[in-house]
Amino acid sequence: MESKKTLTKKDINKLALRSVFLQSSFSYERMQAGGWTYAMLPALKKIHKNDKKALSESMQSNMEFINTNPWVSGFLMGLVVSLEENKEDRNLIKSLKAGLFGPIAGLGDAIFWFTVLPIVAGISASFAKSGSILGPLFFFICYSLVFASRFLWTNLGYKVGTNAIETLQKSSQLISKSAAILGVTVLGGLIPSYVNLNVVKTFTISAGQKFSIQHDFLDHIFPNILPLAYTLLIFYLLKKKKMNPVLLIFLTIVLAIVGSFFGILG
Amino acid sequence: MHEVTLIQGILLFIMAVICGIDMWLEGTYIFRPIIVATLTGLILGDLKTGIIAGGLAELAFAGLTSVGGTQPPNSVLAGVMTAAIAITTGKDPKIALALALPFSLLMQYVILFFYSSFSFFMRKLDKYAENADTKGFARINWTTMAIVGLAYGLMVFLCAYAAQTPMRHIVEAMPTWLINGLSVAGGILPAIGFAMLLRIMMKVELIPYFIFGFVFVCFIPFGNILPVAALGTAFALFEFFKQKNAVQTQPVANVKDEEDYSDGI
Repeated sequence: MESKKTLTKKDINKLALRSVFLQSSFSYERMQAGGWTYAMLPALKKIHKNDKKALSESMQSNMEFINTNPWVSGFLMGLVVSLEENKEDRNLIKSLKAGLFGPIAGLGDAIFWFTVLPIVAGISASFAKSGSILGPLFFFICYSLVFASRFLWTNLGYKVGTNAIETLQKSSQLISKSAAILGVTVLGGLIPSYVNLNVVKTFTISAGQKFSIQHDFLDHIFPNILPLAYTLLIFYLLKKKKMNPVLLIFLTIVLAIVGSFFGILG
Repeated sequence: MHEVTLIQGILLFIMAVICGIDMWLEGTYIFRPIIVATLTGLILGDLKTGIIAGGLAELAFAGLTSVGGTQPPNSVLAGVMTAAIAITTGKDPKIALALALPFSLLMQYVILFFYSSFSFFMRKLDKYAENADTKGFARINWTTMAIVGLAYGLMVFLCAYAAQTPMRHIVEAMPTWLINGLSVAGGILPAIGFAMLLRIMMKVELIPYFIFGFVFVCFIPFGNILPVAALGTAFALFEFFKQKNAVQTQPVANVKDEEDYSDGI
């Protein structure tokens, strides 16, 4: 197809920056649609110039339901903008967008929510434990880099065009899976590092002979067995019993207070 | 012990507006407890307590994401109030974390209200889209952001400044076992965050990696979790290259029909 490029590199970078507006008018009805359209407006305006009818059509089509991952949304924006620029068929743009926002959300969530966040939070928290400014600083720097990656995604989306979609879908699954491996390994390590659950109850066996449940029994089976058991219990209640996380938070606080009252936990 | 002055209250208001809008947009992640609590500590003149409170709250909220469909307790309020309560009452940040929870739940409900009521603006946006009215679009999107930002600012101001005296009285009147219990709770709460993450990430075939990470840190404790992250990266790359080679040796179906896209892929 003949492509008449009206957008410059600067426009695409501006789009990347504006992708931050994705959730600016978020509502349950159409999720990110309002912000999604708003973020792309300058680019759309430039493409459709004085053709008010085309601009209106494009805006209306973009106002359809969308819910994707904010950080990588730029990829989809770049792609849609390049299709608009080539004056592709409206239905093709619509269905491509509708078919891609889900997988892209899955990929973005797997990488940023479930891999980057636990790792960055875990490392930052270990510095912050002693009150070191390195903790928040490390966190801030990491997320500045994540923010900067918006430029990468948006430019990538603008460049790949439709023919790369297939490879993208294949590798997106692969990347999600690899990210999950990293995330789960780190999660396993976060539990002994940060969950504190100790039984302080001791029994006096004979004069001067004390038996501590924690030191003389639990620690002999496996270190950090209680934090692991409690995390897995909550996992089970969330996954199988579909319990509300907020309820579980309250039950945990009640358990801790009751346990502390009877001198069992401390 | 520390009193929040009016000027500090106003500074907290401004910070909450900025961090709140950032959270609404999921923009730069300055809305996470570790940043918000640090800024709160800076404003209240006790940076160190702010950072410690931030690290603690960050972990408890690590798994509480909006991804699972439910809106989690609010991390801005959790960060501000954990730091503010720890600094103003002089209690352990672990205790402050548990006490901050009601505030962060309250804000969660405010956000849920916005999510529902902002549907009203969609009608207007539809009309603007029909008329290609780009100015109207900007107006609505900035209005919604302004409403959200102000709500955060007011909430933080009221909770941290206006409610500080009753808060202090409550904390002072608490018996030791309750204080101790809240501190124990602060130590267990990260378990819920981690379990939330597991709920979404865990698959049967990933169990070996989970066991490995757990056992590794149990027996080789280190100041931070970078070593285990490095090993996790090694596992991830191993799997990535293995699968990538497997894909390449298979004949790749080359479908370019437009119809395939309209099937929803």
